[in-house]
Amino acid sequence: MADETVNTNREWEPKIIAFLCNWCSYAGADLAGTGRLQYPPYVRVIRVPCSGRINPIYIIKALTDGADGVMVSGCHPGDCHYLSGNMYARRRFTVLKKLLTTAGIDPDRVHFTWVSASEGGRFADVVREVTEKVMKLGPNRTCEYAENVLGGNRI
Amino acid sequence: MSFEIQKEKIKQICRELLEKGEVDVIIGYTAGEIEGTRIPYIFSKPEEADKLEWDERCTPNLCTYLHGRKDKVGIVAKPCDVRGIVNYLVESQLKKDKVYIIGVDCAGMKDDQGNPSPGCGECSVKQPPLYDMRVENPDVTNEKGAPPEAADPADLMEKLERFQNELQKCILCYSCRQACYGCYCQVCFMDRGVPNWQPATPDLGAKMVYHLGRAMHLSGRCVECGACERTCASGVNIRYLIKEISDFIEKTYGYKTGLDAEDQPVMTTYAFDDKEIGFLGGDADA
Ligand code: SF4
Ligand code: SF4
Repeated sequence: MADETVNTNREWEPKIIAFLCNWCSYAGADLAGTGRLQYPPYVRVIRVPCSGRINPIYIIKALTDGADGVMVSGCHPGDCHYLSGNMYARRRFTVLKKLLTTAGIDPDRVHFTWVSASEGGRFADVVREVTEKVMKLGPNRTCEYAENVLGGNRI
Repeated sequence: MSFEIQKEKIKQICRELLEKGEVDVIIGYTAGEIEGTRIPYIFSKPEEADKLEWDERCTPNLCTYLHGRKDKVGIVAKPCDVRGIVNYLVESQLKKDKVYIIGVDCAGMKDDQGNPSPGCGECSVKQPPLYDMRVENPDVTNEKGAPPEAADPADLMEKLERFQNELQKCILCYSCRQACYGCYCQVCFMDRGVPNWQPATPDLGAKMVYHLGRAMHLSGRCVECGACERTCASGVNIRYLIKEISDFIEKTYGYKTGLDAEDQPVMTTYAFDDKEIGFLGGDADA
């Protein structure tokens, strides 16, 4: 029974989860908004106290739960509100990206960058770039067995 | 042959340590119930040292049994066990005066078919990096062994298939976590109720969260002892993921786990000029 209120023909739209730090990137996103800058509407923003607060499992979990892309943004190195949170995050994200790539998850699904509170324009640019890359990859299917695994059979 | 000589020496050292009262207990290996197997052996009487064993089947990582002990322990440690102990010291999980390391040169362990045990083939640390007493084997050098044949495929889809092929066998029994010396959290993130990382069904997503999460937690901490691979009843090899990261960390940050007790854990330090590999507009791969 098709529910006519549900439009199943809608074109695929990417779901991108953005983890933004409270002090720089979230304010930068805010500035992009108050400056009325246009950027693609597919990011879902989650505000975190600091990029160092982002548990890598958040990112892994977002990907396994069906997000098509994840972007993480914090203060530029040296500008962290908590002095060194983003420096720890930088190592963590470098290693996480290597891990995800080794596991076969496309590196273009996960993006890390720095956006400061005064860079509304840069925030819009980053979102545009990330959205473009994720759109090119299409829906996230890493959590379904590939054709050649289990003989295409899924349990 | 030299295993026999080493064994006698280990027995003698352990007996003397207990007689002099320098340690409260000794952790070593003894014969298991099944012919040829070797199991951990914890004892505190000098005469019990006679039951100690040392040969190429002494695979278990004894460092695991050290965590959380209050008494002074003497431990018969292969180089990979010593690396684990050093990493415990680095992570402040252990005080040096609580452990007496009997470091044993290791020529490589074998599984029951006589093949090199997981991790032993490509091992590059065959002499203990830290010890109070060393039991030498003149034949053993720190030369790096041959890398494993199954190299990491270059193609992304093949990588994913390799990963999924391993995950497909996993039944989420968490034995690999229990066997690993580095998994010492009191409550593992997979066992936590809030937030609940564990989906209701053990599907591919749950396995991915577990194995990627564990790999992330072991980055810069894995000592390549192979315990996780040996213990898995389903024959899952996730160690290749962690190995790849260890190599990456060694290349990028110049840090190899468990060689120097004065080190800082690599993931809880930073440098101002750390490379931003994989960042938007960041540096290229090292
Ligand atoms: S990899 Fe093996 S030991 Fe680890 S949880 Fe899966 S089945 Fe258990
Ligand atoms: S992840 Fe495996 S190889 Fe690495 S330390 Fe733990 S048990 Fe040993």
